[in-house]
Amino acid sequence: MTSFHFDIGSRARNAGRFISRVQSELLRALAERKKESRFSQQSLANKLEVHRSLINRQLSGEANLTLRSLADLAWAMDLEIALELKKPDVGPGKNQSSATSTVESAPIKVLNGVRSPTAPVPANSDRSESAEHRAKSA
Amino acid sequence: MSTFEHLVEANVIVRIDVEMGLREQPMRLLYGTPDFISWLNSVLAGAQPSNRLGEATPTEQIDQLFYNFLSGFPLVHMRQFRFIRSEKNAVWELKTPDIRIFGWFLQKDCFVCVFGNWADEVKDHNLYRGYRIAIRRFRRELNLDDTFCVQGVDPSDVISL
Repeated sequence: MTSFHFDIGSRARNAGRFISRVQSELLRALAERKKESRFSQQSLANKLEVHRSLINRQLSGEANLTLRSLADLAWAMDLEIALELKKPDVGPGKNQSSATSTVESAPIKVLNGVRSPTAPVPANSDRSESAEHRAKSA
Repeated sequence: MSTFEHLVEANVIVRIDVEMGLREQPMRLLYGTPDFISWLNSVLAGAQPSNRLGEATPTEQIDQLFYNFLSGFPLVHMRQFRFIRSEKNAVWELKTPDIRIFGWFLQKDCFVCVFGNWADEVKDHNLYRGYRIAIRRFRRELNLDDTFCVQGVDPSDVISL
């Protein structure tokens, strides 16, 4: 075995990466607010009248974020939330999710009726110099 | 003396990848030892921590961690990665709410995963020192010289931020 593809299936992947994106966005927003003014997790906690440890656990992903708590955090930072649901941008020259999962219990998923065992690498990708190429040339 | 190719050919380290997004290629590299791959397989088979903290499942947490790392996204120092001890050839830790992964940076943006465990296990039993010593021994037994380990402990020494 020279490589291991960690694939949890598109449903779990979608959920996990969405949660990660929300947390990353909160961390980024808080970091920007900190730069702009003397704003901190403590300021957020004071404004929301909760303990700072709760804010810390929410930002680290150790406490679940509800829609209300997300809205409260945005309000406390004087920010608006932009949410959009749209169709995936699938087309030529773009990676396609694999059809299968390495999770034993998950069913095999077939996308668009076609199984694609591996994600093709776009020939003219925006990020043309891959990490592997950089490692070999280093 | 080992070379990078020798390590891969001898199955000492195995390349790890995850499904990338649209128009994305890996901007960093991730490797794991066969024992670490076995641990990943145990998580994929449904292993769970005794007290899960994160909303995402352990497999989802690992997927998002690997994806963020491989995609080249900025990682938050201390919250998502940190060194165990400030020293030459340091051992580093990748973090999610429920998972800790220990290893070292073979070069900048290239991490080798050696041990994975639940965060509560690591914290309850204070396993940091043990993992650090085990990884240093692992590298020593492979006869890896300094060129196989990032020397600095500044976050920008090990990943492109």
